[in-house]
Amino acid sequence: MIEVKQVDKSFDKEKILKNVSFSVQKGSIYGLLGSNGAGKTTLMRTIAGILVQDKGEVQALGEPVFENEQVKQKLVFLPDAPYFLPQYTVKQMANYYRGMYERWNEERYQKLKGVFQLDENRKIGRFSKGMQRQVAFWLAMSVMPDVLILDEPFDGLDAVMRQKIRQLLIQDVAEREMTILISSHNLREVEDICDHIGILHRGEVLLERDLDDLRSDIHKLQVAFRDEDDAILQSELDIVHHEKRGSVLMLIVKGNEQKVSETVQRYHPVVYDHLPLTLEEIFIYEMGGAGYAIENILV
Amino acid sequence: MFELDVRSRKPIYEQLVEKLKKLIINDVLKEDEKLPSVRELAQQLTINPNTIQKAYRELEAQGYIYSLKGKGSFVHPVEKSENEEGLKKVREELKQLFAEAIYLGMTTEEIQAILREMEGVN
Repeated sequence: MIEVKQVDKSFDKEKILKNVSFSVQKGSIYGLLGSNGAGKTTLMRTIAGILVQDKGEVQALGEPVFENEQVKQKLVFLPDAPYFLPQYTVKQMANYYRGMYERWNEERYQKLKGVFQLDENRKIGRFSKGMQRQVAFWLAMSVMPDVLILDEPFDGLDAVMRQKIRQLLIQDVAEREMTILISSHNLREVEDICDHIGILHRGEVLLERDLDDLRSDIHKLQVAFRDEDDAILQSELDIVHHEKRGSVLMLIVKGNEQKVSETVQRYHPVVYDHLPLTLEEIFIYEMGGAGYAIENILV
Repeated sequence: MFELDVRSRKPIYEQLVEKLKKLIINDVLKEDEKLPSVRELAQQLTINPNTIQKAYRELEAQGYIYSLKGKGSFVHPVEKSENEEGLKKVREELKQLFAEAIYLGMTTEEIQAILREMEGVN
């Protein structure tokens, strides 16, 4: 549905995207993660056809996006700071969208009025940040897009609204196989709704995988041995990170769960705890591997 | 139908598989009963439909459910000897637990007593 092939993008002399390739399947919810300044927004704007890449290919719905009206009819991009025409009310803005998008769904628009409960006749500029975001979702969902690109979408929304909007998004994914690309720093949230994730770091794709595969391939272990023989353990497993807290050893290990557990059992641990990693932990360890580690910061 | 623990470290997909298995094993979902559709469940639990699809596929592979094209997924009638994969997994888990039990000083007699107790229950 979204296909990005070897894309480069520079602003002046600064290279923002370096040979970025990835793809998003139809009906998938893809989480784009990355460090600050990694190029997530630039990549999203390129996919939305706002920017043109210097090199490589960007396709959505099987066609190049840039200057392609047909594709843009079915693709909606919600930037991190939603833009509305100055002085416009919700009603006027909806009118504008109605004229722009062939697939505008009036029935959906009216139904969503009940969900968001915002006054249609108020100027959008006078709404709060979170309410403006609600308006952006309201309009975007009324266009019935096939591809929805969301840059930090839940920023500024309260817990109730987040849940409502997630429900709306999931409904469209389940019923119409809408494709969603979502960037967020709230990994907890990404973890709950995405099926694939990609991590961008300094303009390069660090990792791209099915979330469940990723999570079943990396483990956090807490082990302790009667004798001080934890040195043996370190030679056999693919250990990404280890830390000693008292007599308990904390290990981050890559590999098949079964094999890892078999290997550890052979050393007869007194304590053996196996915890799945959260996405946040995976992100931190992957970033650490790319030289973007958390050190003990004392200022 | 059930709640997922989004705070848990366990992947949602695994939680789903486990919860559904439990419902099937305990006969809450009866033989040939239709499971909720992917769509329904996705909306009910607000989780990704693809995750549910995947959990259903896993349950099918393990022989807990079967699916009919265009109709949905149904609970598989239980045939105890068929589930090789499941048995293998349980065997491994038992081994680990036994090893732990022996390590902690449980005697063979005690283990046998537990076994007899469970046979009596079923």
